[in-house]
Amino acid sequence: MDIARLLVKRLVLMSTVIVIATFLLSLLMWMLPGDPAQLLVPNGTEVVINQIRKETGLDRGVFGYYWHWLSSMLTGDFGKYYLNGGYREVTEVLKRCLPPSLLLILYSQIVALTLAIPLGLISAYREGSRFDRYTSTILFTSVSVPGFALALILSLIFAVQLGWVDPIGYESPIGQPWAHLKLMVLPVTSLAVGLTSSYTRLLRTDVIATLKEDYVTMAASKGISNRRVLWMHVFRPSSTTLLTSAALNMGGLIGGTIIVETIFVIPGIGYEIAYSIGSRQVIAMQTLIALVAFAYVFFNTTVDLLTNITDPRTRERRV
Amino acid sequence: MSETSQLSTADSTVTPVKAKRKRKRPIGFYIAGFWIGLIIFLAFFGWALPTPSWDESFYDSLGVHPFHHSHILGTTLDGYDMFAGLVNGARLSVFVSLVSVTVGGAIGTFIGVTSAYFRGKIDIFVTMAFNVMLSIPNLVLSLALLSVLAYSDENHPATMSRRVGVLMLSLTIVIIPILGRIARGATLQWSSREFVLASKSMGTKNFTIIRKHILPNVAPAILAIGFLAIGSVIIVEGSLAILGIGVPGGASWGSMLANGRGNIAYSPWEVYLPAAAIAFTVISCNWFGDYVRLSLDKRESKI
Repeated sequence: MDIARLLVKRLVLMSTVIVIATFLLSLLMWMLPGDPAQLLVPNGTEVVINQIRKETGLDRGVFGYYWHWLSSMLTGDFGKYYLNGGYREVTEVLKRCLPPSLLLILYSQIVALTLAIPLGLISAYREGSRFDRYTSTILFTSVSVPGFALALILSLIFAVQLGWVDPIGYESPIGQPWAHLKLMVLPVTSLAVGLTSSYTRLLRTDVIATLKEDYVTMAASKGISNRRVLWMHVFRPSSTTLLTSAALNMGGLIGGTIIVETIFVIPGIGYEIAYSIGSRQVIAMQTLIALVAFAYVFFNTTVDLLTNITDPRTRERRV
Repeated sequence: MSETSQLSTADSTVTPVKAKRKRKRPIGFYIAGFWIGLIIFLAFFGWALPTPSWDESFYDSLGVHPFHHSHILGTTLDGYDMFAGLVNGARLSVFVSLVSVTVGGAIGTFIGVTSAYFRGKIDIFVTMAFNVMLSIPNLVLSLALLSVLAYSDENHPATMSRRVGVLMLSLTIVIIPILGRIARGATLQWSSREFVLASKSMGTKNFTIIRKHILPNVAPAILAIGFLAIGSVIIVEGSLAILGIGVPGGASWGSMLANGRGNIAYSPWEVYLPAAAIAFTVISCNWFGDYVRLSLDKRESKI
């Protein structure tokens, strides 16, 4: 009962946020100097422009347009890219550009977590040791290095000067898995460095707090090996914040991949957003940005709900 | 109680060392301070340095290496002096980031503090507005804002000053909810403290309470995040330049980076140098912010 009410409340909140955000996007587009339909097809004839106006609801004012856009989004019509003389469905583009982005995010998360978990555990276990201080400093410095600077320098060293991998491009993992992995190394590294340091810092703080719990002393005094205490008694209760933040990052990373995808020319969703903005395909742009916002809010809400359900203590705290 | 204190001394043997070190500031603080000072100095007085002009192409020395006798950090493949470009870029980066973080921070703090202090319907509305703005990743939001505001075609060419102005406006809008939410959270915490209650019961005006009791306590938290925000504004500026819709013509660090990308195989310093300038500045800002936050935590634990 309680959970059902919570669920409804969160869903209502989530949809309100998304509706307002997407409406503001429409409004923003409406504020563009000049006619949006004219922008879509700069060299189009009057007939074509009028047809596009009708098709997209641009002839019905900003509210009419928004309503048209929202209702077609809900029925699965994501709008079109209008090219010279023809068009391309955004749905088609999405089918092509989602897999690279999702794989990029997935790989980065896996790499970051595999590095961060041992690093965080060891530096918390040896709090204040030389290892701890060096990792902290290095990680804190590397989190501050902008992703694009890292990406450019990595591609300069490993692709241009050493020639180990190709500097740009993307291959599908199904046809050529080896080429796919080779091309993904540099983009994944540039995304994973920042993630690793923030995850390590989170885990370290939590593990330090857990190590001070009485039951850890109890477990250690029973003669359980240090390794086992760390993994079974300390890591599991300390990992909630880490996993929450990893899940939250899923949404944020979709926005964060724009730069990496542009630099390494990976045809992902970030690349498409940049392309649609650059070529003034305002309708495609609105749809893509709305999808990113939706993913972000959706992940936030789901994670929030899950932590609420699994850990009742957080329920009251987060009002 | 005694058990926990024993444990904490047992598993961190460095506690006495830390206590001794407390008076000394970490070396990173001085390095960061020196770098930020240098950048601000260059931003304000860079024009007085005896450098070649940044927007003049030297046709007799295209793409010379760094440490050349006439161009200390080399030139680009198009013959622009790197050092002069970096100094000029410092001015623009400092200007853009300081203005947008200060203005955005001030507006965000105002909104956050008032809504958290008065609660009620305003607070619900403000929280909702912040959530809406934060639901779009900040790079995407500034991209969308810029593409609308910096619109240009043959009839309306965007001038340099208009582009910079629009860039600052978009970054300010991005900063408002970030700092506003911090201000709101901190105000919620402080406004339930006893001294605020006491002040209220004595009949002090709301405005005076905010000015005398809330703002001084909220300010350090905002300052700490403000330094981080300066760092991320510099990053966003660079990212926008790489995407091709920032400041054009190599006038900012990000713009130099974007221009140098194509020549990466021939003159890699065109990428190394601005990237290093951006990275050092962001690292320094983060270090400073972290230091402010740490000293804040220490004060808090003393109370």
